[in-house]
Amino acid sequence: MSLLKLEQATIKFGGLVAVNSVSFELEKGDLFGLIGPNGAGKTTCFNIITGVYAPTSGKINFDGRDITGTPSNKIAQQGICRTFQNIRLFHSLSSLENVVVGGFLRHKTVLGSALCYLPSAIKETDELKAKAMELLELVDLADVANTRSRDLPYGKQRRLEIARALATQPKLLLLDEPAAGMNPQEKMELLQMVKKIRDVLGVTVLLIEHDMKFVMNLCERILVLDHGEEIAQGPPAEIRSNPKVIAAYLGEAV
Amino acid sequence: MQFNFGKWFGTRAISVIVAVLFCLLLDKVMQGPDKSYYRFLMSLAGIYVTLAVSLNLINGITGQFSIGHAAFYQIGAYTGAVLAANKFSHLAATKPLLWLFLAALFGAIAAGLAGLIVGLPSLRLKGDYLAVVTLGIGEIVTIIAKNQKSLGEAYGLSTAKIESVFLISLLAIVCIAVCRNLLKSAHGLAFLAVREDEVASAAMGVNLTRVKVTAFVLGSAFAGAAGALYAHTKAFVSPPDFSMDVSFLILTMVVLGGTGSITGTTIAAVVLFLIPEKMRDLPYVQMGTPLGVAIGIIVAVVLLRKIQESFHGSASERLGRNLGSVGIGIVVAFVMAKVLVMVPAFQSMINGALFRMPVLAVTLVVLMLLRPQGIFGHHEFSWSWVQKLLGKKSPETEVAA
Repeated sequence: MSLLKLEQATIKFGGLVAVNSVSFELEKGDLFGLIGPNGAGKTTCFNIITGVYAPTSGKINFDGRDITGTPSNKIAQQGICRTFQNIRLFHSLSSLENVVVGGFLRHKTVLGSALCYLPSAIKETDELKAKAMELLELVDLADVANTRSRDLPYGKQRRLEIARALATQPKLLLLDEPAAGMNPQEKMELLQMVKKIRDVLGVTVLLIEHDMKFVMNLCERILVLDHGEEIAQGPPAEIRSNPKVIAAYLGEAV
Repeated sequence: MQFNFGKWFGTRAISVIVAVLFCLLLDKVMQGPDKSYYRFLMSLAGIYVTLAVSLNLINGITGQFSIGHAAFYQIGAYTGAVLAANKFSHLAATKPLLWLFLAALFGAIAAGLAGLIVGLPSLRLKGDYLAVVTLGIGEIVTIIAKNQKSLGEAYGLSTAKIESVFLISLLAIVCIAVCRNLLKSAHGLAFLAVREDEVASAAMGVNLTRVKVTAFVLGSAFAGAAGALYAHTKAFVSPPDFSMDVSFLILTMVVLGGTGSITGTTIAAVVLFLIPEKMRDLPYVQMGTPLGVAIGIIVAVVLLRKIQESFHGSASERLGRNLGSVGIGIVVAFVMAKVLVMVPAFQSMINGALFRMPVLAVTLVVLMLLRPQGIFGHHEFSWSWVQKLLGKKSPETEVAA
């Protein structure tokens, strides 16, 4: 059974059809890429999946449940978490605290015991911090655990966003242009990291990216959007030679 | 860091005992008919600390810009006053302390409920829009009190006079402790996350509505408890005690102390309450004197700004220059005051106490120019910080609180 299934998902903003009856399926353990020219509706697709917008029509199924129109926080609870195209960290919190907030949705203690500083709340906070520290080590940020996230360099902020999303213990991770603004060296490291996330943690990954080398090397299947519509879907080799994709996005080889 | 129950219990027990003893001591010191003025000041200072710290929970920690905090203060005060005058007059007369405790509890419940009713619909708004709604609520509550016969209309309500520095200071300490505990736990981080970025915190699974409404209800409840204690301290409540000025004074305390910092808010609350209070005693002065002081302040601020913008030396050099600028400001103030007084136009006498309110405005403007993040910024007082100041090494540097 598929993990995520979009059926004819459509969203209209007034007269503009941002995403037009897009359907695709993700299997557990997939590394799936979403590409297309600017304004093709890739991020809007993410926003529909994570509940920022409710689709105008169509259905979204996740792990056997209909999640169409469910609010963001509930979707995160069910196991979909994302990063943002324009980094949205909690800027005045430290790296560690950012990741702890990600882990917060799996906490059990009630607010009352936190307000009274009861042992259960302290223990759980300590546990969350320990888990957050492990994740920071995974993304190689343990040395800046106590640095304010605002003060981190750009590449580290991107990695911190991934760690924060992983802290929610997602089944499906959505990465919105994770390699944007990174140099080739950083991109290579990121590629390894995403592979590790899939292989070691068993998290299914759906990602948007403009760097074709990155996508073609990483993803096993790719969906191409243009003007909100699907124009191709398949493994990288097929996409690369698809005439429609070349016309709309990749361009002719010179 | 391993959790240790014995250590936890010991620290908690000691802090609670110390807090209660401190409040009892304060109460003892403030007893006696000759100290009634200072007792009143002390009580009001404690009430303002509670109000400011509870508003800080809403404005500073959760980032919901509310400027109608006096409304909940008023609801608490009227609840206490009305109940003491009607239903519980017997209890208030026979067991005043018990009643005062209950009054605070009732005030908190009433204000908390009001906070829930107001918060559920209005917390969907953000920023300026929420500010306008809360401002409106402040006005609505005052106008209702002004026009209800049972609430004494514009004249106000008198009630039993029960003074207890003990309960007031205990309430302030409990309020501070609750906020501090919140910030020490993962729950508090979720509150801070809502302040930092709503979209991202929702994507991380934080329930925005619940966090915002919880903060609003908790903050309102503390304000309500403070209101009930205020009503009995003064033995009288009237609408002007809870006007927009009060909301803004509380807001000023939060901003001045550093939005989000409990320590800063507490200190700012005491200072901002005492400045106008102490300035009541100022004598009549010649017009030239305050003008000279104003010129001195402007000179000092301009110099300090210049240093902030263009000086990049070591911390001690910077401190020296800053102190120098303040010194120059003081000298200029003195000289200008003396010179201006010689001008006949500036020789007329003026009541110094009139400057009580402008001083608040000037303080705020100076602060916004020199330190927009507030005196404490986002920092908090902590024991490791004290140890660092004393030159010792902190034992728990690896897990920063």
